[in-house]
This record gives sequence, structure tokens and C-alpha cells, in this order.
Amino acid sequence: MEILSGLANGFAVALEPANLFWCFVGVFLGTVVGVLPGLGPPATIAMLLPLTFHMNPAGAIIMLAGIYYGAKYGGSTTSILMNVPGESASVVTCLDGYQMARKGRAGAALGIAAIASFVAGTVGVVGLMLVAPPIAKFALSFSSPEYFALMSLGLALVVLLAGRSIVKALLAALVGLWIASVGTDLFSATSRFTFGQMELLSGIDFIVVAIGVFALGEVLANMETHEDTQLLPVPKGLKNLLPTWQDLKDCRFAFANGSVVGFLVGALPGGGSTIASFLSYGLEKAVSPRRDQFGTGVIEGVAAPEGANNSETGGALVPLLTLGIPGSGTTAILLAALVLWGFKPGPLFIPDNPALFWGLVASMYIGNVMLLVLNLPLVPLFAQVLRLPVYVLYPLILGMSLVGVYSVSGSLFDLALLALFGLLGYLMRKLDYPSAPLILGLALGAGMERALRQSLMMSEGSLSILVSRPISAVMLSLAALVLLIPLFGRFNAWRLRALEQG
Amino acid sequence: MNVRYGALVLAALAGVSPPALAQGFKPTRTVDLVVHTGPGGGSDVLARAIAVMAEKEKLLPVRMQVVNKPGGLGAVAAAYLAEKRGDPNTIGLFTGVWLQTPLVSAEARITLLDLTPIARLVLEPAVIAVKADAPYKTFADFIDAANKNPGQLKQSGGSNTSRDNVVRQLLQKSTGARWAFISFPGGGERIAALLGGHVDIMVIEPEEAGEHIRAGNMRVLAQISEHRLPAFPNVPTLKEAGFDVPVVPQVRGVVAPPGIPKENVEFWEDFSRRLTRTPSWRKYIADNQFEDGYQNAAELAKFYVEFTDRMRAILKDAGVKTVR
Repeated sequence: MEILSGLANGFAVALEPANLFWCFVGVFLGTVVGVLPGLGPPATIAMLLPLTFHMNPAGAIIMLAGIYYGAKYGGSTTSILMNVPGESASVVTCLDGYQMARKGRAGAALGIAAIASFVAGTVGVVGLMLVAPPIAKFALSFSSPEYFALMSLGLALVVLLAGRSIVKALLAALVGLWIASVGTDLFSATSRFTFGQMELLSGIDFIVVAIGVFALGEVLANMETHEDTQLLPVPKGLKNLLPTWQDLKDCRFAFANGSVVGFLVGALPGGGSTIASFLSYGLEKAVSPRRDQFGTGVIEGVAAPEGANNSETGGALVPLLTLGIPGSGTTAILLAALVLWGFKPGPLFIPDNPALFWGLVASMYIGNVMLLVLNLPLVPLFAQVLRLPVYVLYPLILGMSLVGVYSVSGSLFDLALLALFGLLGYLMRKLDYPSAPLILGLALGAGMERALRQSLMMSEGSLSILVSRPISAVMLSLAALVLLIPLFGRFNAWRLRALEQG
Repeated sequence: MNVRYGALVLAALAGVSPPALAQGFKPTRTVDLVVHTGPGGGSDVLARAIAVMAEKEKLLPVRMQVVNKPGGLGAVAAAYLAEKRGDPNTIGLFTGVWLQTPLVSAEARITLLDLTPIARLVLEPAVIAVKADAPYKTFADFIDAANKNPGQLKQSGGSNTSRDNVVRQLLQKSTGARWAFISFPGGGERIAALLGGHVDIMVIEPEEAGEHIRAGNMRVLAQISEHRLPAFPNVPTLKEAGFDVPVVPQVRGVVAPPGIPKENVEFWEDFSRRLTRTPSWRKYIADNQFEDGYQNAAELAKFYVEFTDRMRAILKDAGVKTVR
């Protein structure tokens, strides 16, 4: 009852014409920011912050949150069309999304990304509304050993991301882990693998490697094949562009998976949308009957991670609003905004400001509908990009990649790194090394190492802390199980052969 | 009509008898205020507040915008400022890590003295907090427990050169007790670790602790401050609680690129001084329970030498290798 009256009041706030307008401005800007690689939601929100001092706080938080979840919708666009991840949370979307586009199903991929985003984004808001306090409590029970176990589980997915050779996949993952260790070590403030270069002190940005290995590597490899006259097939007509009924049925589990995994990982202060999207992709692949087709353009492979990174926003707002604890870059700047407007974010924020909280929740329902209406008609428009001949498309991809990287850091050094990782991506393709495990190793490496070292500091060097805590023990067992799956398969094949011969 | 007329008159006046300051330097385009954290970090929030105040209180003839150069525990931002040698429109907001990182990292080559120190703005006190259901009622209780179980109790904090760890080192040395220090990259994770019961104690900014105390989740045992803070009239300072260790403040201030002319230094010094006199600034530091720590450029350079000498000694004591 309390929730219903809260929500009713919330809609009263969110449906005020001014707040509806700010909600639209937020989700529109978010979509634009998401589509453009590079400039992410934290930077956009920071830039708009001075403007919000002249606004009423409800309108301001509604707009800024709109940018946050709106960007998650747009992020998949360049991943699918160009293999250029728009945000770090959309890196996984490249794996199947880009392959779908290569097969002429760009429209279906873009469409399912929008639909999955809408479904999971809405579930995330429902979660925020209904279970925020207990989920916040659950999130606090997570500490370093649990994070280590969670990330081990994520890393075990390498086995699932492997191509023909598990050894090559593991090698690629190790390189990813190594790249993650470049930079200033948090614990000792000393630098590692920086080779005396000041530019490497802050480490190597995840998005630089992802764009280099995926987008540049792809362009370089394709230039070799002289397909300059061959255009990618793009079907005509809106109906043929959007996902089919069969697509939606294939994605039933992906919607649920993305919603739940995204929300739970988002609620963890040390989680984040990149990990959420990788985990839900891995889970989707692990349970899918057509596991072996992942990476060749399977629609669930787009729906699960795109759902997860939207549901994650609802989850990430849980510790922010119930405890005043930000978990990611974007929630940190939202926290700063609340402080600068004169609020005191913390455990009493919601009880002290019910209208603001419920207004925000209601606006997120409205904003998600706006985003679906905004994004679906854009699908045919964006799909036209693939009608461009390759001598236009490839320079365009190159340009997007350069602008994306430069707009993140503004440093020429990062552009040189981008070129280097482009070459690495090209070589990996030539030598048949899968690039996804490298990206996964890089995405998880820093957090995983940190969590392990924190755990060992807590236990005075005893590894038993990892298995003596129940949540951590369960997740580590699951990770071990995932690693053993290929062995079971091989054992079974050997047994069958032995039976036949026997 | 009136407004335009007024502006014309002002312009005319300015042409005839310019005020004292206009003779010297003035920034010519939007001023970049460089910070070492991403959007939402401690320095970033203060910098954005300063940008708003500069506009509201009309302290600058141009706008001010925040530029984030995160990474390397301050080293990246310091290096960026060093590259801006002679730039009249860029300044930086430094904190203690800018001073400490070059002491331990060979690659962090830029110290405050390689740039142009302008002014110190604030000193941030801190409090020592435990979870509300912890058995420790006083800081002495915690030290007793740490003495009984050496190395078993844990503190969450930043890097090993952070203020949190320096305070721990000083307290360990003076009491002989020993407890673990666990580094977390973000303030949120440090608090989450304490509230989740994964660590026992933390050094936290008073304003951050305030809301958790009001909600009954946290208790403050002692203040790291020379005097009791207005918000915590009943909590003893470390000295009052019987732990006579030097108070280590978190310091924040303004720094400019190297190689700028003297009149630029004077302009920014004057800007910083005027900033700290405005009502908006007074309210901001009162709200956040900061201490006014204004020092001009000459005093700041002297403070730098004393501060780093003391820090170097503390780090060496803790077994951290120093390179400068």
C-alpha cells in the first residue's frame, strides 16, 4: 500500500509538464551520448551540472538519471553496426551484434537491443522500487572474497568464449590480465609495467583496447579480403528490419537473465555494468541449447548483455539512494550532484525526500517508454549505414574509433596505443586467437587482483578465506564447474568411443 | 536599455581609470581547473563548487570549467599542468596525494615545487568511525582489542600513502598496537566494507559520517583534528583521548603551471584569497566541516617542505621505500 501511494505521488511529480520535458531531454541526450563512442554519461552529466543549479531538484535528477540509462540504449548502436563499442558496457554486444549485422540482420540486432533494454530497464526500476532496502543489505554482505569469487566465475567464462582452441583462449585472457596490471598499484602507490612512461601511470583504458582490437582489427583484416565491391545485405522495409516473433521467443530467457543479473551485479558497490554484461552473456551461452553458435550472430547474445547493462542502472541506484554509496563513475557524479544541490545522500535520503525518490522512480518508467519509442524508429535509419560501400564505411569506422578514444582522454598517447592494439587485433585474427577472452581478462583483471589481495590482507595471508565464506565458496565451485565442462565433454566422447570399440 | 547604458558607462570608466587589478594580468578565455579525480571524486566536487562560486560571486571575468585528469594517484594531473608551462588560463586543485605520490613513485616526477604553488585553501579534518554495533565505545577500547589480537582487526582506506594509512602508522607507532590496513579504490567501497562488517574501523570525513550516524549505522570514537568539530561536541580529539600523535590534515589548494609571470601568480593568489572570503565559500566549508586553511604562495611553499619532510619520515618508518 505504501509503495502504491508512493508511486502515485511519484507519477504526480514525474508527469508535471516541466519534469516530463526534462525527462525527455535526459533520455534524448543519453541516447546521443550512448551512440557516440567515447564521451560517456559521467562526463556529460558533469558538463550539464552547472545548468542544474537553476532547476528544481526533481527535474534535475530526473534529467541526469535519464542521461544515465538513456546512454545504455544507444551504446549498442556502433557495437552492432561497426564493431566499435560505444560504452564499455556494450563491448560484449560486439560479439554477436556485429556478426548479425554482417549477415544482414543489423535491424533485428538493433531492435532487440532496444527491446531488451526496455524490458530489463523496467525490471530494474521495479527492483529499485520494491526491494531496494533488502538488496542493499545483501550487497553489503559482499566483500573482497565474494568479489574475487564473482570475478573468477566471470573469468571462467573464457572457456565459453573460446574458439577452436582453449589454449589460445587462455593465452589471450592472460594477456588481458597483464594489460590490466599496467599502471599505478593502489596498495603500494608504486608503478608497474610503465617503462618510465608518465602516460602509463593511469593504466591502459579498457575502451582503447576494446576499440583497437575489435574495430581496427576488423577493418585491417577485412581490407585484405578485397571485398570492396560487395555490399552488406540490408533488407528493405520496416517489417523486415525489426526482430521477428521467433527472435522474441528465442530471447525469452535472455530478457529474464539480463534483468536479474544486471540488477544484482549493479547493486554491488564493486560491480558495474561491464561485469554485468559479460556475466549475463556467459550465463546465456552456458544454458543455451545452441551454445556452439554464439559468436556467429545469435540474437540472445545481443539481448542478454544489452538487457543486463540497462537493468544495472536500477541496481546501481540502490546503494546510491539507500546508503549514499556510489558503485560506478556515473553514480559518483550523481552523488556529487545531490550534494551540490544541498541534499545529504545517505541511509535517510529516501525517508527525508520521498517525493524526490518516487518522482525519480516514476520518471524512469516513463523514460524507458520514451526511449523505446525514440529508439525503434531509429533502427531503419541506422541500418542504412551498412548500405555504404566499404571505401566509405571503413574510413568512417576508423574516424569513429579515433574520435571515440580521443574524446575520452584527449591524449595523443592513447591514439598511439589504439593503433598498437589495432595491430594486435589484426595479428590475433590472422593467428586465430579469439579477442573476447583478452577483453574479458582486461575487464576483470584489475578488480580481481585487488579483491584477491584485499582478501589475503583480511585473512593475514590465508587462502582459506575464499572457501570459508558461503557466498564465495558457492561461486568458486560454480567457476570450477564451468572450467570442467569441456573436460566432461571430452571424457564422454572418449567413453563412447571406448564402448563402441569394446 | 538601462543595462546596456550601464555597461557602456562601466566600459568607459574602465578605460579612463582602471581599477588596480585590471592593470595586471587577467585570464583571456575560459579557465581550466584541473583535478586528479574523475567526475564525482572528492576534488572534482570541490572544484565544481568553486566554479559555481566564482561565477556567483563574480570573481573572474571569464567562466571556469573543471578538467578531469584522473590516474596515477595525482601524477597524471600534475604532469598535465607541467605540460601547460606558461599557460595563463589553466590552474589546478591539488590535494595531499599530489604531494605524497612523488615521494614513492619514480615516474611521478612533478612535485608541487616543479609547478607554481598559489595558495592553500582548506584543511579537512577527519573522524575515526566504527559500525554502530561494534564493541568499542572509545578509541582506547579499540587499541586494547588490537593489542590483544595483533594484526586481527582491520581498517579500510585508500592507498598506503593516503592520510588514512599515515594516521594508522602514527597510532601504531605510539601505542604499539598492530592492525591491518586494506586499500579500496573508492570511498563508497571503504564505507561498504565497514557497514558490511568486513573491516572494524575507518578514517572518514565528518560530513560523510554524519548521515550514517544519524541513521544509527555508525559511531565516531575520536576526531583527527586540533579542536572538536562543531558537529561532534561530545567526541574527544585524539589528543584528548590520550593519543598524542601529530594531526595529519587532508590539504587542498591551488597550483598553477610552471613558468607563469609574477603578475599571473599575484592574480591567482588574489583570486584564491577573495574566494575564501566570500559568503558562499564560508557556507560551503561550514556545511562540509572543513577548516579554513588559507595560506599564500610563499607560505604554501614553506608548508610543502615541512609537510613532505614529515611525510617522508612517516613513510620510511612504515617501511615504504621513498624515492625523493
